Amino acid sequence: MTPAIETANRLAKHFNTDKQRNFESNFLKDAEVYETWDSVEIGRAFPGKLKFVVKDEDVLFYNKSIGETDPLMVDPAYAKKHSPTGELIQHPLFVVQVAFYCIENGPGSWIRSPGARNPGQKIEIWEPFKSGETISMTVVAFDRWIRRGKHYITDKLDFHNEHGVRKATWWLTLIIPPNREGILKFARM
Amino acid sequence: MNTIQFSKVNVGDELPVVEHFVSQDVIDAYAVSSLDYNPVHTNVDWCTRAQVFGMPCTVVHGMFTMSLMSSVVVRGWGAANARVRSIEVKFTKPVPVGTRLRCTGKVKELHPIAPGKNFAVVELYVHDPADQVMGVGSAQVMLPD
Repeated sequence: MTPAIETANRLAKHFNTDKQRNFESNFLKDAEVYETWDSVEIGRAFPGKLKFVVKDEDVLFYNKSIGETDPLMVDPAYAKKHSPTGELIQHPLFVVQVAFYCIENGPGSWIRSPGARNPGQKIEIWEPFKSGETISMTVVAFDRWIRRGKHYITDKLDFHNEHGVRKATWWLTLIIPPNREGILKFARM
Repeated sequence: MNTIQFSKVNVGDELPVVEHFVSQDVIDAYAVSSLDYNPVHTNVDWCTRAQVFGMPCTVVHGMFTMSLMSSVVVRGWGAANARVRSIEVKFTKPVPVGTRLRCTGKVKELHPIAPGKNFAVVELYVHDPADQVMGVGSAQVMLPD
């Protein structure tokens, strides 16, 4: 068995939803089309490639993956009776999976860069996502800079539901390779 | 059920510690739930060659660590009571697979704005077993009156 198949098989053990099953799990595959640090035009604004329809199962499996055990977060029947909204209470960082889903390999795809490092993040949650909502994301190239030879980039991600209600904002920052050559160097290792 | 109230919270209050051993299985489960499949987290073989952080192993997702830091608030004050409205975190060191993380939180500020709008600022830290700081941050947390 090749290492790539071994990795895919290991990950597949954790698949529980169609979103998880249908999402490309090999981030090395599309490295030739990801946005690069040197090609991003600061100020460019695009809609995310995909929209995210929130389901209870998305909330449930994010909560479980952090190790939450509160029945309000991991027991849908209990939450239906006892949660203030009648729904599972979502973890504050549920927005992470919404972002990765909506970006896919479109605008903001430098988030998938092999060789990327995470220096820190800032997230504002205006109101929790609700089951049944269709979430759209806008990706604005916010800033990029060089510090101590490292190439930083920030996209501002805004998340709205189908009624235009703002749900969350994420200033997503990574240190990434400076150009396509740098990404491909990592992708081909 | 936890029934924390803003009026009962004081600056300096410490929240219960959250600990988590991060195995490759935990990283894999988080990769699937977050849809972040960067090979630096999931591809063991690639990591031995790429050594993005100068170590021949996978590293924990920063967003998992950040999630665990916010879990300090969620678990300490109750998921139904405390609503994290913002969180900002800096990661100071990469976390290699097989690390037991220890997350702590302490109330730094109280903001008595108005009923329904009051919030606390909680300082958050994450340490490894050698007591190295792996991440620092703070969260603004809305609490019932």
